[in-house]
Amino acid sequence: MSHVSTARRPAASAKAEPFLELRGIHKRFGGVHALRGVGFTIEPGEAYHLLGENGCGKSTVIKIMSGAHPPDEGEIVLEGKVYHSLTAIQSLSAGIETVYQDLSLLPNLTVAENVALNEQLVAGGGRLARLFDRTRLSETAAAALATVGLPADRAFLGTVVSDLPLAQRQLVAIARAIATKAKMVIMDEPTTSLTRREVDNLIAVVERLRSEGVAVLFVTHKLDECYRIGGHAIVFRDGQCVEQGPLANYTKHRLTELMTGRKIDAERYRTGAPMDGELFAAQGLSLPPNVRDVSFAVRKGEILGITGLADSGRNELAMAIAGVMPATGGHLRVDGKVEKVRHPSEAIKLGIGYVPEDRLAEGLFLDKSILENEIALVVRGLANRLGIVDKAKGRALADKLSQEMRLNTRNLDLPVGALSGGNQQRVLIGRWLSILPKLLVLHGPTVGVDVGSKDTIYRVIQQLAEAGMGLVIVSDDLPELLQNCDRILVMNGGRVVAEYDARETDEDQLYKAMLSSKTSAATSAVSAVVNPETVQ
Amino acid sequence: MSATHLHEGVAAPLTKPNPLLQLVRRRPEIITLALLVAICVAVSIINPAFLQPSSLIDIGRASVVMGLFALGVFIILAAGGIDVSFTAIAAFTMYSMTLLVKNHWPDAPIALVLMAATAGGALLGVVNGLLVHSLRVPSLIVTIGTQYLFRGILLAFIGTVWIMSLPPTMGAFGRLPLFQFESADGRTITLPFYFLVLPAAALVTWWMLNRTLMGRAIFAVGGNANVAERLGYSLRTIHIFMFAYAGALAGLAGIIHTAANRQANPFDLVGTEINVIAAVVLGGARITGGTGTVIGTLLGVLLVVVVNSVLVMVGIPSTWQRVVVGGFILLAAAFFVFCQKKN
Repeated sequence: MSHVSTARRPAASAKAEPFLELRGIHKRFGGVHALRGVGFTIEPGEAYHLLGENGCGKSTVIKIMSGAHPPDEGEIVLEGKVYHSLTAIQSLSAGIETVYQDLSLLPNLTVAENVALNEQLVAGGGRLARLFDRTRLSETAAAALATVGLPADRAFLGTVVSDLPLAQRQLVAIARAIATKAKMVIMDEPTTSLTRREVDNLIAVVERLRSEGVAVLFVTHKLDECYRIGGHAIVFRDGQCVEQGPLANYTKHRLTELMTGRKIDAERYRTGAPMDGELFAAQGLSLPPNVRDVSFAVRKGEILGITGLADSGRNELAMAIAGVMPATGGHLRVDGKVEKVRHPSEAIKLGIGYVPEDRLAEGLFLDKSILENEIALVVRGLANRLGIVDKAKGRALADKLSQEMRLNTRNLDLPVGALSGGNQQRVLIGRWLSILPKLLVLHGPTVGVDVGSKDTIYRVIQQLAEAGMGLVIVSDDLPELLQNCDRILVMNGGRVVAEYDARETDEDQLYKAMLSSKTSAATSAVSAVVNPETVQ
Repeated sequence: MSATHLHEGVAAPLTKPNPLLQLVRRRPEIITLALLVAICVAVSIINPAFLQPSSLIDIGRASVVMGLFALGVFIILAAGGIDVSFTAIAAFTMYSMTLLVKNHWPDAPIALVLMAATAGGALLGVVNGLLVHSLRVPSLIVTIGTQYLFRGILLAFIGTVWIMSLPPTMGAFGRLPLFQFESADGRTITLPFYFLVLPAAALVTWWMLNRTLMGRAIFAVGGNANVAERLGYSLRTIHIFMFAYAGALAGLAGIIHTAANRQANPFDLVGTEINVIAAVVLGGARITGGTGTVIGTLLGVLLVVVVNSVLVMVGIPSTWQRVVVGGFILLAAAFFVFCQKKN
């Protein structure tokens, strides 16, 4: 909509009318009252941070602004014009661009088409019976890609999006939002898979957009990034807007309280101590080129953290232990017996549970009920000789597991897809508890989980350790490891390069070990070893 | 800023494991072409008669109706749907059109007849599109329903009698040669004029898919319908258009089928859907939608037609055609999955 927006765009400094105002928006989905009278104002050139736990109505309000859902009540004032609801084309034509959390890319189309085709669609008011301008497509796409720091050459423009790694896809989604002359860009967790440098670049892009009079609305769980960007906070809780104001007026702690409605301490969750006796050991575990000769031991009731950069091999190590990506060298020792794991089912037999990082792709059946998800691993054990599942037994087990995991619903027949991210994660952990594991490997247990659910999950982790289970948390969330673990291993270049007592280390020290160059890392490996017998 | 979230190395450049695999993955129709060439070479070694113009022209002639069907199926497949009603649409339009012309306007110009059949097919396609969109039911179910419906209406209300003598203009159109020559053994070999309809339709379809927003929208819906809707593509328009387009091609194919066979049999065509869908899938279009090319579709059709016509020439009984086509489909599918994994 470039030709329209240049004429009418208000200057950033002018005290003009707000770009967008929501008034008394209500939205119900079936029995769920997702938004209860929400209202806020978006001024041109300002940055806003929409904060709140999962399930507080953030996504719904975004969908109302982007025209995906009509509100049940309330009005939307867009540049002075009152609407009761918007269509996708109306919203896009008005200059509201959205970077969706799921990225909303078309996997089978090229980068150029994903970035720049929409501009032409919107310019034509959504009419499809038209030719499109291929030169303009490439030019628009190249300009937008260059802005977000992606290559803008022909080869990249012609790459099919499903061939790109996740971080590049995220940048492509951002490029689409800024390819048009937007007046407001909504970014729903735009930084989840970006590196620091890419985040820095994104923040620079946001600065530039703001200086051009574009309003930016962020949705994120990363408060640090909010403070770096600055602007206004809009805090949601239970479908209501509980607080609005300049971000500088709030501390991180205060924002967390506002979001959850309760006080959450950032203290250590870990109060217990490991018990005597080795439960599990990895010995010389290798999966070249990602994992090289990794050895460590876990005691009963111990919580071991493993961290490292994304390419450090931590992910592959977790999957090797669980048999998802079987190790090619080395072995495991479980209860003193030497074992190899070639398949997830073998790990399960040994009592090793594995909660994968990507709960949607690798774990949950979203359209199946909580009940069916919880009993998925033990369903064979619940069946009689004819293969008929004892439903009452299954229900009793699922009920017990969901209570243990403190699910916020008692309706076990609800599809898992209807739950918030935090509750989905709890269902997944609950499922693994059903096999009564001796060792539970949690891979990114709180990725995409809100503050309140994190708290619950941490409490459950501690309880499990108290009961004698060994836990391995593989994560890049350093505060999470510091708050929950006994020991933390740092991986780099496929090897364990450092080991720390979680009570005696901090984020800086861990971060340095993660970044230490791979050659020097090998020599400094022993520097911080607390339990020397575990590193062989 | 604290080191809370660290993701390094995720923006690593794309690794290209094997350029050949990469190419095949991007352009799966290369496999179709390779299979086609392999068969042709093998057959011409066993039986050099295959290379004679007459058998090539036979193949060309036999590809027209299936090719038109396949282009329609491909469009629906590209948008993530599936259509099994096109044969019923073709049967319906060809029979009622022939009956109409024969009884009311025997001298109707052939261009008008073709246009009317195309429009009639498009109309039936719109019914499909409206049903798929408003019922929000998978298109497979809807088109199974409409296949029965269209065919049932045809047989119950319009007629069940074979029409053995076509109206003169239609008969003439079926015989009109594009070029003719005499073969070595003295037979007259004719490439009929109607053969041109297939490349023309392929060209129009290619242009529509690759040069118009509608074409890109069809692929967008095949990639992810929810996302496409979110981005402002009107699913209703797309659904109606694509089924109308497939219906139009089916109507056209039906009337050409009649003209070529010099008879209109209301029981004809229905039952050959799987053959067509197989050809499209062999051409590299994924059954899950969003991929495929016009050229791949044509290659898939050629492959199936060649297999059907050529096996006899090398002494394999015609009952084996299905075994061979089935084997190819499994082979191609396995290969595509292999390429996917290698990536």
